[in-house]
Amino acid sequence: MTTATALDRAGSRTIMWAYLVTGISLFGLLALVGLAMRAEQAGWINVDPGLFYALMTLHGAGMITAMVLCGMGGLWYLMDGELALDRGIAWAAYVLIVLGVIGVLLSVLPGHFGAAWTFLYPLPFVGATWPNWATGAFLIGVALVMLGWIVWCTQMLGCVLRAYGGFRGALGWDLVFHHRAFEQSGRREPPPFAFGALVTAIDGLLSAAAGMLVGVALLVHWIDPSVALDPLWAKNLTYFFGHTFANLTIYMAIGFVYAALPRYANREWHTSPVLAVAWWATLLFVATAYFHHLYMDFVQPHALQYVGEVASYLAAFPPAVVTIFGGALLVYRSPLRWTMGSMFLYAGLVGWLIGGIGALIDATVPINLSLHNTLWVPAHFHTYLLEGVALFVLGWIFWNLETRSGQVSSLAVRWLTGIGIFGGGAVLLLGWYVAGAASVPRRYAAQPDPGPAIASWASIGAIVLCIGLIVCAIEAVRLARADEVEVAA
Amino acid sequence: MESHGTAVLFGFLIAAAVILLVMAAIAKSTHEPSIAQTIVQPRGYRLRRGWLWALAAVAVVAFAISLPSFPYGNAATLSGPHFAIVAMQYGFQTPQSVPSHTPIVFDVSSRDVNHGFGIYDPAGHLIAQVQAMPEYVNHLPITFARPGHYLVRCLEYCGIAHASMQGGFDVQ
Ligand code: HEM
Ligand SMILES: [Cu+2]
Repeated sequence: MTTATALDRAGSRTIMWAYLVTGISLFGLLALVGLAMRAEQAGWINVDPGLFYALMTLHGAGMITAMVLCGMGGLWYLMDGELALDRGIAWAAYVLIVLGVIGVLLSVLPGHFGAAWTFLYPLPFVGATWPNWATGAFLIGVALVMLGWIVWCTQMLGCVLRAYGGFRGALGWDLVFHHRAFEQSGRREPPPFAFGALVTAIDGLLSAAAGMLVGVALLVHWIDPSVALDPLWAKNLTYFFGHTFANLTIYMAIGFVYAALPRYANREWHTSPVLAVAWWATLLFVATAYFHHLYMDFVQPHALQYVGEVASYLAAFPPAVVTIFGGALLVYRSPLRWTMGSMFLYAGLVGWLIGGIGALIDATVPINLSLHNTLWVPAHFHTYLLEGVALFVLGWIFWNLETRSGQVSSLAVRWLTGIGIFGGGAVLLLGWYVAGAASVPRRYAAQPDPGPAIASWASIGAIVLCIGLIVCAIEAVRLARADEVEVAA
Repeated sequence: MESHGTAVLFGFLIAAAVILLVMAAIAKSTHEPSIAQTIVQPRGYRLRRGWLWALAAVAVVAFAISLPSFPYGNAATLSGPHFAIVAMQYGFQTPQSVPSHTPIVFDVSSRDVNHGFGIYDPAGHLIAQVQAMPEYVNHLPITFARPGHYLVRCLEYCGIAHASMQGGFDVQ
């Protein structure tokens, strides 16, 4: 294995920053869109429903893509440190995704495409209030994102297989089952983040296959409406694709915690047999938990509903018992340096755990009966995406900026961003939980009571959150413009 | 049928508060004199084993408790009178009234796109729902304990007027 010198890696760093800057800019823009939606639900501003649902479509699809981009860039850079990767391929994936995002933007902003990211067949075609071309632009845009994703996943899969000796090595098989022999052989186990790369690549390719299948089927229907699809088939594919794609953002971004948190804590996070087994479980359950999206489809074979509940519960074990627990143990009584970077990484673990509990409650079928498609759903997924994945990404960005500049942020800046992002964020999230428990539906441009009253105080939380994000952005720019210091890698 | 809303919310908030307190205490421990990882780790791993078993116990119990309340029905609950529900952009065709204290079945379908048939009791709580799908009929078994007017809201995004898509029926 080659150890690249700092100079060699300049080109790789450029790739990582291209992904990160594109992803985080999209995130910032769409946070404002989110605020606008919440303010509209509060009755503060007036947005006509056609535009509201177009913005909702953009926000949902775009935010996930933004997080995927950040995860891709960071994980690519980490894996490139393991085994030098072809940069042309990484740029190709990047260009495909950016083209796809442009397609989605065109379809949504001038076109007002508003069938939501789920584009549940036959919705994009029946009763559409947007022009036909916008449907095509959206589907083609999503297909381009998928293509870029497939390129990246394939490169990652090739990388882990070559770096650690096939599936057997990458999965850590011998580490788990022939532990003593493995230790004596002097072979190196994959670092923790490499398991994230492996699982993301495999489940990512499965998710892309489903996404491409239903996407192309919809495109065929778009071209020739006489070709009909089965709505239940389309629903299964859509949710398998969407659930897996969104879920994987966590398992990519957790690599940032594995890589950076130990450096802050001055401790080690190494691969143990338990960690390897935890990732095997994740590999399996990320791909099977999606059935919980179809609990309210009583025509779905009932066995799958049981699989959905069991897989959803089991998916919680690897993070709860291994990764988040491991992160907390790493920090406990360590000489951790609290900076913007470590604060975000650690807080992200908290958001992931709390959001996970909200998700488990909703993944319990009898409870889902009265929470499905209420605001409980955005409540729990924003908890682990906004106060989880997005924080891991911010933590990774600041880790890089802090090491590059040799500077950290003042206590005042940390408090300001902390209050803004965690405090404001908590108020925003609480609004969704309370409204969801009070049966207010999700995806309503105009909500029944008590929706609007809750939306008012939740919007204040969203404003405070956005202020925190702005402070954070200014601080990031300040650190990025500081002179680079020589660091011993 | 009843809504779980308040109990669920409080259960969740208590769990969230406990997590916040524990994680804050762990964060705060970094201000105390540090302990070598080689000492902390074995202790942590012992704790982890207990944590794993505790979680497994909770998961098994939760699954077992949830099983009898799965809403999909069985031969007994699906044998009562059936009432057809048809959803369409943007409204519901519903029966005028249905009986209380009797196991009944809603046969729910859609004329165009996916909708959700969400039943709100007179107090405004969502008590049950099922998807309304084109080309399929979903059978929702339900027994109403309380007479009154029940509102129906659409619970699957179906287009521009989704938020105002409503229906209703009386339980007598
Ligand atoms: C910055 C703060 C954010 C705000 C204020 C915000 C606001 C919103 C609002 C108001 C909705 C519509 C909820 C409804 O009534 O159904 C929504 C939906 C959504 N948000 Fe966010 N959001 C934020 C951050 C994020 C992040 C970071 C992600 C993902 C990484 C995300 C992903 C989504 C998704 C997937 C949906 C579902 C869209 C749909 O129902 O089709 N949001 N958000
Ligand atoms: Cu609807």
